[in-house]
Amino acid sequence: MKTSETIQDEASTPHIDNILATEDALIPSSGFLASVMERVREEAAAPPPIPFPWKRTIPGVVFIIGALAWIIFELIRRGLPTVSSPQLIIPQITPAIEHSLEQAGWVALALGVSLFSWLLSRRLAGRSGLL
Amino acid sequence: MTTTPQTLREKTAAEDLADVDEVLAGNVAAFEGIVRRWQGPIVNMAWRYCRDRGRAEDLAQEAFLRAWRALPQWRRESSFSTWLFALSANLFRSELKRFPTVTVPLESASEPSDPASQFFVLRERERHEVLRRAVLALPLRYREPVVLFYFHEMDVSAAARTLRMPEGTFKARLSRARALLKRRFPHLETEHATLEVSTLNNGKEV
Repeated sequence: MKTSETIQDEASTPHIDNILATEDALIPSSGFLASVMERVREEAAAPPPIPFPWKRTIPGVVFIIGALAWIIFELIRRGLPTVSSPQLIIPQITPAIEHSLEQAGWVALALGVSLFSWLLSRRLAGRSGLL
Repeated sequence: MTTTPQTLREKTAAEDLADVDEVLAGNVAAFEGIVRRWQGPIVNMAWRYCRDRGRAEDLAQEAFLRAWRALPQWRRESSFSTWLFALSANLFRSELKRFPTVTVPLESASEPSDPASQFFVLRERERHEVLRRAVLALPLRYREPVVLFYFHEMDVSAAARTLRMPEGTFKARLSRARALLKRRFPHLETEHATLEVSTLNNGKEV
């Protein structure tokens, strides 16, 4: 294996090199190969792991991100009176629009929760063999 | 026909490739060839990391299992052995971080002094073992270069490849590690020279 350079720098000590390099080789025990192959065969025989259901998760993730964005928006909007110059950050919203936006937000949240619980129940039922 | 180390290496590499291809084609039994060829080096590498025979075999077994699982991800950019050594080193490092080996601190690794000459061999063995165990007491960043440098028979580039580290960084860490060991065992060189002389003298007297 000694194909490239070997080093002997200023801190090297030939005797330390001799001791550490000339170590007796350890011979693996007789059952080592068999035990490795047994575990490999066990693993090969095991069913492949179930891939994470990204397709099913994506709508949920999108919904959660949307809900979080809406909550953040709401929090910022409600905190605006305490900010010194709100007109620079958020455009003016009339009370009528504000009211309908709030209503729509609650409706979206309720729909999302319903959708999530429906998906979750289908998944649990599918796992238990009911579907 | 003579077999040079170079041709032997090429033969081994070709066998590795053939076995890997077979394993990837679905022949589980072909992995046995890989384990048979590399069990010695991997067990010895694990031994140098922990100096505990039972644990070394457990670690080596886990390394082969990881290799089995990761085989489809091997991109064949380097030789199979380089990939296997790097994978094993990663595993040994993380396992030994989680469950460290029981070692004495470097400061308490004492250098045996002035034993009777008839115990020369025994003393030598003991001292060598103390030094080897002292390597395990080095900080990890210095310990690994030492372990892999001597495992790879003092081949800097092979050891640096195993650690996936630039050779310059590797040499710097190795140099620092040796300096630490030298500081811990200051009489090793002088005693070695004295003992060599006394051995020669004993030889003359007999």
